[in-house]
Amino acid sequence: MILGRLTWGLLAVAVLSGLALAPFWSAARPLESLETLTGATPWGFWLRGVHALSAWGFLAGTVAHLVEVLWKKSDRRLSPAVWWRSVALLPVAVLALLGGFLMRGDAEAQAALAVWREVSASIPLAGPLLASLLLGVPGSDLAPVALHHAGTFTLLAWLLTAEHGGALVPDLRSTVLAALGSFAAAGLLPVSLGPALAPDGALLLGPWYLLGLQGALVVLPVFAGWLLPLLLVAAFGLVRHLEGRPRAALLAFVAAWGAGYLAFTIRLLFATR
Amino acid sequence: MSSRRDFLSGAWAAAGAGAAVAGVAAVGKALSDSPETARTVDLSPALLRKAEKEGGLVHEGLLVRGPASAPIVLDLTCTHLRCRVAPVEGGGFSCPCHGSRYDSEGRPVSGPAPRALSRPRLSPSGSGFTARLS
Ligand code: HEM
Ligand code: FES
Repeated sequence: MILGRLTWGLLAVAVLSGLALAPFWSAARPLESLETLTGATPWGFWLRGVHALSAWGFLAGTVAHLVEVLWKKSDRRLSPAVWWRSVALLPVAVLALLGGFLMRGDAEAQAALAVWREVSASIPLAGPLLASLLLGVPGSDLAPVALHHAGTFTLLAWLLTAEHGGALVPDLRSTVLAALGSFAAAGLLPVSLGPALAPDGALLLGPWYLLGLQGALVVLPVFAGWLLPLLLVAAFGLVRHLEGRPRAALLAFVAAWGAGYLAFTIRLLFATR
Repeated sequence: MSSRRDFLSGAWAAAGAGAAVAGVAAVGKALSDSPETARTVDLSPALLRKAEKEGGLVHEGLLVRGPASAPIVLDLTCTHLRCRVAPVEGGGFSCPCHGSRYDSEGRPVSGPAPRALSRPRLSPSGSGFTARLS
């Protein structure tokens, strides 16, 4: 599956460009450190772009690859346990990307951090513990977030990919292709940094892939922030065990979920105008 | 093939062990931590005079206004999901996360915010005040 291989190549590019960014980033002064990097060096902007765009490509590729697998009904090729672990790649990828977004430290990132802390803390029993484990205690610097971004979630994403990908590293051709694509995209699409403070009266947008959730939280209670994603992941996991009508019904649920998510995204974007 | 499988099962074991250690460490820390103490903000006489003269100012996430001898303080943390609200032109506050609006007294007007902005308890300290946030 060429899409899956390319997606893994994008993950490799995200890891390598992340390692290149790491020495310039400061947990105590994240926004300033990134502004220094992008302002002082001509390649700083581009390097940020390579990292962000390869990561976005990784997420988009993961979703597209999952759809492709379900379309071709090749989910049966994996054992149930490996299938569930591969499906877990989706939330792991989102958490990895979200951690990177939080590491920007601009007004958007600070707002996302506050909301994400509340969403995590609303998980029954383990919530508050999980929130401080993943995000640090309120008022702490971004070191825990960075640790989970570059450590926990990156490692998990790699392991989960390697397991069903049947190799320890992506093949060279996909990696080179992913790198060339990311290099070119980073030259074309600027990945901006937000302001340090929220402009009066305006809405601050979270990362593009979480806008549906941000829109949902305008009208739904806070636990929707983890329950909605959990429902989607559970549906993807269960598909592997079903055939015929039940399978079609579950896939219809997934499609409805996606349509609802898109609707919340559009609603939020209209509210900002 | 089998060496690859061995590596992966080893890696899973290592990841599981890491998670277990982190979990135990976190539980230990949570149990040993004293209950979260409230944040306090010092409001110096100079700051209070400036707030009075300018008709209000934002300091460490608080809006301070009113007479320096009896200031009125609002915590600018949104009561929905704790984003920082900002004063808007014409009075009142808005939240950048899900669009809640508050009037100039901090009462919710629209959006998902369930309660008014909280008012920290003030206690005199020197010739200024200390604000205690819950
Ligand atoms: C060793 C691994 C990694 C390191 C050291 C690392 C480091 C960093 C640093 C320092 C930033 C902040 C810079 C910036 O925002 O421009 C960042 C942001 C980010 N990272 Fe990573 N990263 C790693 C792996 C990954 C992986 C595997 C992904 C995705 C799968 C990823 C996705 C992102 C994203 C989406 C951002 C935010 C970009 C933006 O919106 O500006 N990173 N990372
Ligand atoms: S956090 Fe203020 S409206 Fe949601």
